Amino acid sequence: MNMLSLQHFPIYSIMVLFLGAFLIVIFGKSKVFRHAVALLATFASFFFMAMLFKPVMLEGQTIAYWMGNRVPAGGYAIGIALEVDALSLFFGLLVSCVVFIACVYSIQYMSHDDNVPQYYTLFLMLAGGVMGLVLSGDLFNMFIMVEILTFAAVALTAFRNTANGALEAAFKYLVVGCIGSTCILAGTIMLYAQVHTLNLAQMSALIPGNLSTATKVAFALLFIGFCTKAFLVPFHPLAADAHGAAPASISVLISGVLTKSGIYGLIRLSYFLFQSMALGTMQFWLVFLGSVSMFVCVTMALAQHDFKRLLAFHSISQIGYVLASVGLCTAFGISAGLYHAMNHTLFKGLLFLAAGAVLHETGTTDLGKLGGLSRKMPHTTVLFLIGAFSISGIPPFNGFASKWMIYQATYQKAVETGNIGFLLVTICALVTSTLTLASFVKVTQSVFFGQLPKEYENVKEVPFGMRLAMGILAAMCLVTGLLPEAVTRYLTEPAARAVFAVTDYINNMMGAGYAQSAMTAPPAVQSVSFASAGVWSPISWLCLLMIALLAVSIVAIAGKYDRVSVKSPENLGGKYDLFYGGEQTVYSQVGGDDLFWGFKHNWRHYFSFMHELHSGVVNDYSLWAVVALALAIVYALIVL
Amino acid sequence: MIIEALKYLAYVLIFPGFLFCFLTGMLLCGIDRKLVARMQKRVGPPILQPFYDFFKLCGKETIIPAAANRTVFLLAPLVGLAALVVLQLFIPVFGFSAFSNVADVIVILYLLLIPALSIMIGGAATGSPYAGVGLSREMVTVLSCELPLVLVLLAVGKKVGAATGSGLCFSLSEIVRYQMLNGSLLGKLSMLPAAAAFLMVIPGETGSHPFDAAEAETEICEGMLAEYSGAPLGVYKLSHAVKLLTMTSLFVMLFLGGIGGAIQNLILGAGLSGGAAGALIILLDVLVLFALCAAITAAAISFVHAVTARLKIEQIFKYYWTVVAALALVSLVLAWYGL
Repeated sequence: MNMLSLQHFPIYSIMVLFLGAFLIVIFGKSKVFRHAVALLATFASFFFMAMLFKPVMLEGQTIAYWMGNRVPAGGYAIGIALEVDALSLFFGLLVSCVVFIACVYSIQYMSHDDNVPQYYTLFLMLAGGVMGLVLSGDLFNMFIMVEILTFAAVALTAFRNTANGALEAAFKYLVVGCIGSTCILAGTIMLYAQVHTLNLAQMSALIPGNLSTATKVAFALLFIGFCTKAFLVPFHPLAADAHGAAPASISVLISGVLTKSGIYGLIRLSYFLFQSMALGTMQFWLVFLGSVSMFVCVTMALAQHDFKRLLAFHSISQIGYVLASVGLCTAFGISAGLYHAMNHTLFKGLLFLAAGAVLHETGTTDLGKLGGLSRKMPHTTVLFLIGAFSISGIPPFNGFASKWMIYQATYQKAVETGNIGFLLVTICALVTSTLTLASFVKVTQSVFFGQLPKEYENVKEVPFGMRLAMGILAAMCLVTGLLPEAVTRYLTEPAARAVFAVTDYINNMMGAGYAQSAMTAPPAVQSVSFASAGVWSPISWLCLLMIALLAVSIVAIAGKYDRVSVKSPENLGGKYDLFYGGEQTVYSQVGGDDLFWGFKHNWRHYFSFMHELHSGVVNDYSLWAVVALALAIVYALIVL
Repeated sequence: MIIEALKYLAYVLIFPGFLFCFLTGMLLCGIDRKLVARMQKRVGPPILQPFYDFFKLCGKETIIPAAANRTVFLLAPLVGLAALVVLQLFIPVFGFSAFSNVADVIVILYLLLIPALSIMIGGAATGSPYAGVGLSREMVTVLSCELPLVLVLLAVGKKVGAATGSGLCFSLSEIVRYQMLNGSLLGKLSMLPAAAAFLMVIPGETGSHPFDAAEAETEICEGMLAEYSGAPLGVYKLSHAVKLLTMTSLFVMLFLGGIGGAIQNLILGAGLSGGAAGALIILLDVLVLFALCAAITAAAISFVHAVTARLKIEQIFKYYWTVVAALALVSLVLAWYGL
């Protein structure tokens, strides 16, 4: 085969990242060299993924790659395989794109740290691990990649090990992360013992028809394993610790990329391996888990007083949206969920980078200590606001477009099935969105507006490279928000179709006709419909807003809107000072974690309950993991 | 092509855009002030007082606090006003809708947040502690109104969707069209609690008594407006007036759309047809809409304003998430089971 044929691109895309990691270990002493290698590797990885866009997304091909050309023989897949369908490619594109942007940001962000070569090595290992996971065509390699990315992420969490809490966070992550990885390994082993293959396609053909007690337990193990990777409730406290301690560029990867790998795993597990999504209860529990995650984590975020911890909880809240939508098992729902997954990666990346910019300049992310930075860091403020509006679902930014689809999808599902539970999900999603807005208003007021504390008088805007990375993400937030049709048509709808095309996925890997012969009952063909009840055309809205804004501005300027009298010594006496009701002017910043007292007061019992529950002790969190696993096993044994 | 563009421009600038919003909003505001005064046995200002106030403010000097972020301070009021006017374009006037294929009710729900956000961010940009407190309360008020509003809209969407057979309906012009053919939703027993809930949300959304903790002149000096003066303050006052129109006309379209059908029948029944009839229908529609908006303002805002005292912010939140949300929920459940 030609070295440049499309078949090879998936493996190249993974290889360049690991190759870059090893090169930096060996030759990383030189600053120029390691920056060049890191940028080149991440860009190449993205480039190879982008080259697959046309054949996979537009032409609907599935790219299968057998390492060493060990194709299946005698009806069994022995070799190591990569399989890239539209779903894999969707996640692959997302991951490689954000990894590249985080790499651009890292160059100036990490310039003052020690041990920078190790940072890039781990960074590329983490990226490679996630890429490998989403492109892999076999379950055991998925486990290997999970291990690689978990350990890289743990090490990176503790990278600034002199920072307060970094080692503790890494330790917690290590313990619970290992429980998750062990679950995945155990589940993989049990499945292998049952069906004698590790190839995803072949397993998808063999498992659904022959469910035994062992495969059911394996399902529960794998399910919990991928839940820990996505930090879904009850694993959310780890995410908060890990994000709070890790460097911002790593938080971007943990929140934007690593959690997506968990979602990807859950989709492959429940839609492909076990094809259990046709079960009503399975749909309901996935959606329920998503709704609980979105609501619990948004309220947890409201109570935070640290910028990055707050963002961390919002990550899980948004992942909850994704899961709730993907769990609906309708084409429109999956498309909406994947759209939101993409948007989450973009806006959460932007927000973490903005938090990193604040940390870089002021040395703290404590909401109670900051304030008034908008005058010192105007560009960062604007970029942060774009991210904040996106995540809060303010039109026309991307968060709104996808959340709006999620509202429609859940409500449609409720009407179709007559299940009032899904209706509650819609309400929960709508209210959560406003709570998200509330907590970002809190951040805006506490960090960027309000009064500037004395010690930050000399703060400067962050270097250009960091602003560039944020700018790219902000532009993408706006574009994906304005062109929902294009995004769904070229990215999420092919991926959603791929989710329902299990038979094609199997046949493509194992040879035509394999699925029909191996499966006792081939899956029923789902009707794939992307119709929705609502209307929203952001471009028209934006045009109207621009016309209206232009009209108001013209009138305002003609009316000498910003006429300001000249500041002369006579009239300066207090005229331009803030109004304090006649009292002496003192520094008084209104902000911090208790800004929305009126809300929290009504929910005080809930918040004190949550406070007690989140003890911060890793033993408790491990216990939660074990309990969740036990529940999942009981569920799987009874229902599957 | 050019005619088309001019038509849309006229929609934005004249009707149902700026000029219409400006005139009717300010008039509603004047009626509200007059009514409250009369209920409290005062003489009250002339009905046109809001216009005088607006032009007076425009003539005054704008003082930008030295500590404020100048651009945000000046831009925020304008964005808020523009967003509100554009929002008004998506609310049909009975049978007439300027843009029916741009936004549905769920989008409108979120577009309503933009004016509130603009005032919060504008206030925050000054750095005033009064603004900080006002912002905190405004956000909680918005949060309070959100849950009942969501429930009301879902109930209406389900009700109309079930009746038309499409299962779900979120398009506002569809909802109005359905009512024009089948009578107002207010006439349906299951929608009565939702309508009551929406009426209760109106004073909260427009920030009037007793839900005006966010502005509370006597306490926190109008909160987020504490540092505003001159034309930007005038723009905020105008936004407030337009919001009155938006909320009341939204109520009319959601629950009283059937009146549009009656008007249509009246004109067409009188033997008129063609362009003259169309123009007459629109004219009558606008007049009736204004009368209804004024009546709702009187009932939901002025009357409540005159007889109540300001609530504390945690009371506002509790009230909306219990009493009002429960009312809306009753409607939703009734609509859900096809009643």
